[in-house]
Amino acid sequence: MKKLSLLVLFLLILSLLGSSVTLSQVLPTLPRSETLIVDALHGRLANPKDFNFWKPGVSVGNGTQQMLLDGLWYLDPQTGKTIYALAESDPVYSKDFTKMTVKLRKGIFWSDGKPFTADDVVFTVEYLKKHQGMNYSAQFAKWVSKVYKTDDYTVVFELTESAPFFHYIFTSIVYSTCYIMPKHIFEKVEDPLKFEFNPPVSLGAYVLKNYDPAGYWWLFERRADWKRTSVGQLYGMPRPKYVLFIYYGPDEKKVMAQTKHELDLIFDLTPEAWEVLRKSNPYSRVWYKDFPWAWMDDVRARVMAFNLEKFPYNIKDVRWALTLATDIVDVVTSGFDGIARTNPLFMAATASLMKEFYLPLEGWLKNFALEDGYMPWDSTVPYRIADYAKKKGYKVRGEPREIFGIGWWKYDPTQAEKLLTKNGFKKDARGKWLLPDGKPWRITITAPAGFEIHATRLAFAVADQWRKFGIDVNVETVEAGPFWSKWHLGDFEVGSYWSVPATDFYSFIQQYHSRFYKPTGEVASAGNQIRLKNKKLDELLDKLVALQPEDPKAKDLVVEIIKLFVEEKPLPIFIINLKFNAQDHYYWTKFPNADDPYQAPVWWWGQFKFILPHIRTTGRK
Amino acid sequence: MFVILKDLFKYDKRFAFGFSVILILLFLSILSFFSPYNPVLWSLVPKNLPPSLKHILGTNSMGQDIFWNITHAIKNSILLGSLTAVISITIGTFVGLVAGYRGGSVDRALMSINDSFIVLPSLPILILLSTMLKERLTIAVIAVILSLFSWPWGGRQVRAIVLSLREREFTYTAFFSGMGTLKTVLKEHLPFVIPWVMANFINTILWAIGMETTLAIFGLSSLETPTIGTTIYWANQYQALLRGIWWWILTPVIIAVFLFLSLYLLSVSISEFLDPRTRLQRMRMEEVST
Amino acid sequence: MNLLKRYILPRLIQYFIVIFIGITIVFLAPRFIPLDPVISVINRITAYGAQYMDPEALEKLTETLKELYGLKGSIFEQYIKFWKRLFRGDFGPSLTIFPTPVISIIKNSLPWTAGLLIIAALLSWSIGNILGGLAGYFSNKKWAKVLSVIAMVIYPIPYYIMALILIILFAYVFPIFPIVGGYSIGINPSFSFIFSLIKHAFLPALALVIVGIGWWFLSMRSLTSTITSEDYVVYAETMGIPKNKVLFQYVMKNSMLPQITNLALQIGGIFSGSLVTEYVFSYPGIGQVLYMAINNGDFNLLMGIVTFSILGIATAALLIDLLYPLFDPRVRYR
Repeated sequence: MKKLSLLVLFLLILSLLGSSVTLSQVLPTLPRSETLIVDALHGRLANPKDFNFWKPGVSVGNGTQQMLLDGLWYLDPQTGKTIYALAESDPVYSKDFTKMTVKLRKGIFWSDGKPFTADDVVFTVEYLKKHQGMNYSAQFAKWVSKVYKTDDYTVVFELTESAPFFHYIFTSIVYSTCYIMPKHIFEKVEDPLKFEFNPPVSLGAYVLKNYDPAGYWWLFERRADWKRTSVGQLYGMPRPKYVLFIYYGPDEKKVMAQTKHELDLIFDLTPEAWEVLRKSNPYSRVWYKDFPWAWMDDVRARVMAFNLEKFPYNIKDVRWALTLATDIVDVVTSGFDGIARTNPLFMAATASLMKEFYLPLEGWLKNFALEDGYMPWDSTVPYRIADYAKKKGYKVRGEPREIFGIGWWKYDPTQAEKLLTKNGFKKDARGKWLLPDGKPWRITITAPAGFEIHATRLAFAVADQWRKFGIDVNVETVEAGPFWSKWHLGDFEVGSYWSVPATDFYSFIQQYHSRFYKPTGEVASAGNQIRLKNKKLDELLDKLVALQPEDPKAKDLVVEIIKLFVEEKPLPIFIINLKFNAQDHYYWTKFPNADDPYQAPVWWWGQFKFILPHIRTTGRK
Repeated sequence: MFVILKDLFKYDKRFAFGFSVILILLFLSILSFFSPYNPVLWSLVPKNLPPSLKHILGTNSMGQDIFWNITHAIKNSILLGSLTAVISITIGTFVGLVAGYRGGSVDRALMSINDSFIVLPSLPILILLSTMLKERLTIAVIAVILSLFSWPWGGRQVRAIVLSLREREFTYTAFFSGMGTLKTVLKEHLPFVIPWVMANFINTILWAIGMETTLAIFGLSSLETPTIGTTIYWANQYQALLRGIWWWILTPVIIAVFLFLSLYLLSVSISEFLDPRTRLQRMRMEEVST
Repeated sequence: MNLLKRYILPRLIQYFIVIFIGITIVFLAPRFIPLDPVISVINRITAYGAQYMDPEALEKLTETLKELYGLKGSIFEQYIKFWKRLFRGDFGPSLTIFPTPVISIIKNSLPWTAGLLIIAALLSWSIGNILGGLAGYFSNKKWAKVLSVIAMVIYPIPYYIMALILIILFAYVFPIFPIVGGYSIGINPSFSFIFSLIKHAFLPALALVIVGIGWWFLSMRSLTSTITSEDYVVYAETMGIPKNKVLFQYVMKNSMLPQITNLALQIGGIFSGSLVTEYVFSYPGIGQVLYMAINNGDFNLLMGIVTFSILGIATAALLIDLLYPLFDPRVRYR
């Protein structure tokens, strides 16, 4: 007994001593002012020593793709501009799009001193094509008939058929792309599926210095020859000498860490966690300096997806009725405290895409009418959200239409009732809706549990709306594994998902071609989990594939598709994704934000590497 | 029966306390039937209000009245706990008694089944099962799932007690004086087992509520049914602790503590009352003191 | 010889039966869940809108992966395959982090879990039982009552809340302890490394110990208070045997039996980790790995960890069974 309490006392003293000896808890041995600390996207990794990006299922968002890998092109969703990384210029296609020529950047070197040349690119394609089961293997097998270099910095791809979009395989549009392999390493590898690429040879401006075998952190150090990388050539020296990717745990831990200035960049927080952080750390901010703070230019939007093969969601009027029975302002204010941008169209309402697609379509939207002549568009939405915010005492700087979106569909239970009654639905004595066969109407909304919190919130907020309208709604929250299985198998009635294209619309929409249709119960791995079949859409998509994504005619086709999605309403779209990807301005500053939106604030994308030369140290020690 | 309760209430302070608290909690759970708010709906009252006359325990970030919600939560949690406890104690005690007394191959067969469930790691399998039954998760289903993992512990413990009781003098005395096995069990041994059963009963209730809370933390409970667990889940989802909305997170915790306290004191007091030896002792003490 | 035949052998047979049933249950359970490891990998590729993947290529990749992961064939065939592999001590490759062998993932995480949980279990067991024994024996003393009330109030607080409060208090309000990981970054094995290890394990262990003590205390107290009124104890007391001696040699010794059983089972159960602890304190361990395996339908990894866990608990139970008579002479080998 005595011995035990002595031991406890001893341990206590020991740890107290320990804390006073070390200055910084996270980084006892590194200069904090020269280190940038970033939230690790995937959390803790069970196998932290695997850097073989090209193997399916390897998680690369914890620093690998930001620090070590590099690709040909990057498309920044914030500005809509292309960053020419390993490629020097745009690809040149032959007239019939069966041949693509790429000029590579000169003077780039791998971190072990070998030069980066056309050989690496050729090798990457041939090697992946040869090894089935690797990422991109199937694509290359399908599209590439031959790849060769004409000189050390020119690569020619001969394609199996006309493929005007082929360069997209090498463009990081969203999150990641096919990065280039070091030939001199992989040519000695027999079975790449067993290869861990450790230690990784880097093409980025940093090298791996150390990592936690338990899988919580990875530390990267700037290369002495950072000038010999694409980042160095394009934007100059990346400022932090060290970059640490670390996973602190659930949101409350991340908030604590940033308040203590031990975490500079956070991937995402719940609105409440952000509220705590905002109040406890004056150096923290997200995108807007004031309300609504959040970054709302992320490339997906939140939808209520219907399984179009399940009754009664196969009826267009029902889908419209449920849309009109939803008060979007109430959803945004009660579910999200007003922090959301409405996203009515089948195109993410980012700042750049609103200009490109939403504004030109506004006239059409105002005049759009349902079959009975009812005009559902409501352009007062942004102002009503702004009013709510002002009433709550928040400052709203800027134009409400730019922040909260240009509008949404009207809240009109009467019209919704009309649409339902038309289809034989009835209301019982207690005001509850009955299906045409007289049974009570019960909706189950499938929503993610414990991840993608905004989708979960939306599900509960929408459920609330439909209940008030008189339908029995049940929200079923499901863990990631079964959630995705249900989604792909079509094992849902209504699901809270985020399936809306953005800058990647070209490849994204093609999954809805009926060629890839799979009936409910079969895995729809190609996409189209909502089981949409539409002849007109097929025709539009067939025309689209024949064009280059950058072709202005392609844009016209996309507009047609957006209109079709409004008319058919296969999936009511509510708000754009929001992110509270908080930045701490205590040690570092000049991160991209609304004051200087030079790039999308995506610490977890491959694009992050180009942000590093722009940031500045504050000089705090 | 009523007289005994009255006596206990009068002479045992622990019983009086436990009994009053459980009555209050039961009263609260009955109140839930008169709740002016539907616990499933959001935005019924202003958000994040601290306790006041209008909202005794304040409101939460989903726009619900915490007092009325917690009445539902108490009802559901007590239901969940008792259901789990009844199912698992019944099975456990039965299996334990039979295995202990019969011994031999019956014992071995029963203990094989019993132990197969004991060796299964409960939390992962519970997570697996609730993932699997997600759509059908109700209080009753959760109770059944939880019982799956709580009965074998009781079974083993009851058996262990029986094993050591069997070797005791009075068992032999009873046996040699011609008392049948069943009678021996009921008359001589059950009083020793009952305190354990009691302790086990409240412990299972508590374990069930705790386990449901753990599952709820990972979103694996019936989230729209208010229970102590889901109340904590939602409070935690909205960072109630860090945001200083203490009335939201503290309410379920305090309820959990009081629920436990009352049940625990009740069980201690009742088992002492049932234990013939302490009863004798008490009578002796009372004689001395008077 | 007789002993072996009549006592040990049946228990050994039962041991293997239990393991067999347990493993079979766990093997079958996840196959009825809508979980597909291939979908989960595909999903991780496309989750963030990741890469340009035309639909046909995705379909082809799905097929290749299915073959690669060995998921073709009926449940029964896979079950046979599992046992065959298991006898070779092989759990196969993890499916989510293919093809890392399951065993190496377990090796990576288990030491953390084992270290933390064994220390916490032993500490809370000894403290809880000693205090509980004292409080049960001297149940009329004031301090005993105070201790009981404290235990009764602390024990029912949900563990998750307890952990959260500890971390907010001692890592945030008073930043004494770190909030992540098993040791500090960039420290090499040395004295300061051990220092760092203890510092990181302190809060998780504390949370486990506090809750653990509550349970051991309460159960031990009720055990001792029953035994205290037994004839032989009363007799010993009237004989004038010192109270200390009565407490330790008469009362405690006899109430230990169920407590030792439970301790053994608890230690046997560490193989599945402590998910909540690891989650709240971001402590490396096997619980989170197991959780990830469940979520992603990584059957091999799941089976690997659970098999260890089943073996651990079953072995602990077997040992207790064999050692029972040593602790309690009233139980004879039969």
